[in-house]
Amino acid sequence: MNWIYLTEGAQALDQLTWTVVVVGIGIVFLSLLIVYWFFRYILTFILNFRLRNFARKKGMDPAEVQTVKTLQSGEVNAAIAMAIYQYFNELHDVESGVVTIKRISRHYSPWSSKLYNMKNL
Amino acid sequence: MMALLVITSLAWLAFVKPEHDRQQAMADSGAISMVTSLQDQEQETREDTEHQFVQGLKQFWAFTGFRNATRGNLIMMVIGLIFIYLAIKYEYEPLLLIPIGTGILIGNIPFFTDGGTNLQVGIYQQGSVLNYLYFGVLKGVYPPLIFLGIGAMTDFSSLISNPRLLLLGAAAQVGIFTTFIGALLLGFAKPEAGAIGIIGGADGPTAIFLSSRLANGVNVLSDGTTVKNLIGPIAIAAYSYMALVPVIQPPIMRLLTTKKERLIRMKPPRAVTKTEKILFPIFGLLLTCFISPSALPLLGMLFFGNLLKESGVTKRLAETARTSLIDIVTIMIGLTVGASTQADVFLTKESVLIFGLGAAAFAVATFSGVGFAKIMNLFLPEGDKINPLIGNSGVSAVPDSARVSEMEGLKADKTNHLLMHAMGPNVAGVIGSAIAAGILLSYLG
Repeated sequence: MNWIYLTEGAQALDQLTWTVVVVGIGIVFLSLLIVYWFFRYILTFILNFRLRNFARKKGMDPAEVQTVKTLQSGEVNAAIAMAIYQYFNELHDVESGVVTIKRISRHYSPWSSKLYNMKNL
Repeated sequence: MMALLVITSLAWLAFVKPEHDRQQAMADSGAISMVTSLQDQEQETREDTEHQFVQGLKQFWAFTGFRNATRGNLIMMVIGLIFIYLAIKYEYEPLLLIPIGTGILIGNIPFFTDGGTNLQVGIYQQGSVLNYLYFGVLKGVYPPLIFLGIGAMTDFSSLISNPRLLLLGAAAQVGIFTTFIGALLLGFAKPEAGAIGIIGGADGPTAIFLSSRLANGVNVLSDGTTVKNLIGPIAIAAYSYMALVPVIQPPIMRLLTTKKERLIRMKPPRAVTKTEKILFPIFGLLLTCFISPSALPLLGMLFFGNLLKESGVTKRLAETARTSLIDIVTIMIGLTVGASTQADVFLTKESVLIFGLGAAAFAVATFSGVGFAKIMNLFLPEGDKINPLIGNSGVSAVPDSARVSEMEGLKADKTNHLLMHAMGPNVAGVIGSAIAAGILLSYLG
């Protein structure tokens, strides 16, 4: 690489180049800003509206429902999920710990009784 | 009776014997000459056989890799072996580096091409199996399929719960456009420069998608020249630097942030409802693709894959997309991109420049991501600030750059986990780089 090379390249930086750069960066920001606005404001508004209707029908305080439904931390949910998981998966750990040996009572069966067979001869 | 016997004997002696002897003599003299000629023929045959044997050996030698090997092939093979070593020893993106490294070995095994002979072996030879597989790269088939799998395995919850992190994903794309200018300054044609610039997006499939459209060795420029085929160098540079994210980004992150900034604790993300998760891919698709329709193949597949996951009613499809499908396509894309780096195509001055520009692109992208997080903090209230260490995640190397944020965060404070927060800008970076690719395509394609 040398300066002549760079100078030749610099001539390529025409109007189209700057258009691509400025419009490109602008559109990337604009697209993601629109998605941001949508999810930050419009979707939140729609969901809050639904919650308010739900609260009105149930005769509850909308603010309370909103707090419970949407502003709950993910960590709380994670803790609840973990507790439920442990409860269902580790039930076998809660046992009496008493080991018992039960005698199995057997009733007499004549199936191999010699005496019985002898009598039948 | 006796007389008959005598007459017969005399007749045999008088007529038959001399003729027999004459024939015998002739036969004997003929046999000698025949033996002589046979011996000559045998000699000739032996010489011919020896000649043919030597010729056969020479031909065999001419077709072996040893005879056709060039220094370039050997250099590329060493590079391929380094890729495989890095993948196995340090586990740098092994799912990509093993197929790419092996592909480099396959693509650089030399074979007979004298006089334009087509053995249908090489990736650039019409009719070879590798050529058919390479079609998916050349026509940009594989990248959207990879995006489908990425969509089916991505959880956008952290982004939905804190949508402002989308802006970090946008900020990191500045690296794409600065690299575009850099490539133009170094003498690349505009479409080539656009394809090189996308390395700054740190997204392998997007880089392949854009370079297959802009720098494919087929398109003709306005001055009548054909664009160079830079798919191989661009893809290798993108994947190499993606694998090296844990090496490239931390020094820049530490350089740009103070100890106090690195200790910032972010609010835990709120719980995201199922409705929001379902609406995100639908509205994300509509909003982004209406603005940049050229990004449709990538973003369409990304959001489609995510809808398969979040809808909850297409579990089988989502499972296939995020496991079998993406695995198969990764194998194909890795192997063929690796094999496309034949020494005669790859070892050029342009490749060296592309690697230099790629490194600069990653550095600028990291710089702009972290810098923008610091700028955002100027406007955010106390207690709601962003830890600038997640700014680097705006480059879309998922999930490596988010993992770097986590590691750097833990170095500053062992109890401050940033991974969940960093995943927001990380997936936003995927969307941002796809939009940027669409814009470059619409202007330069």
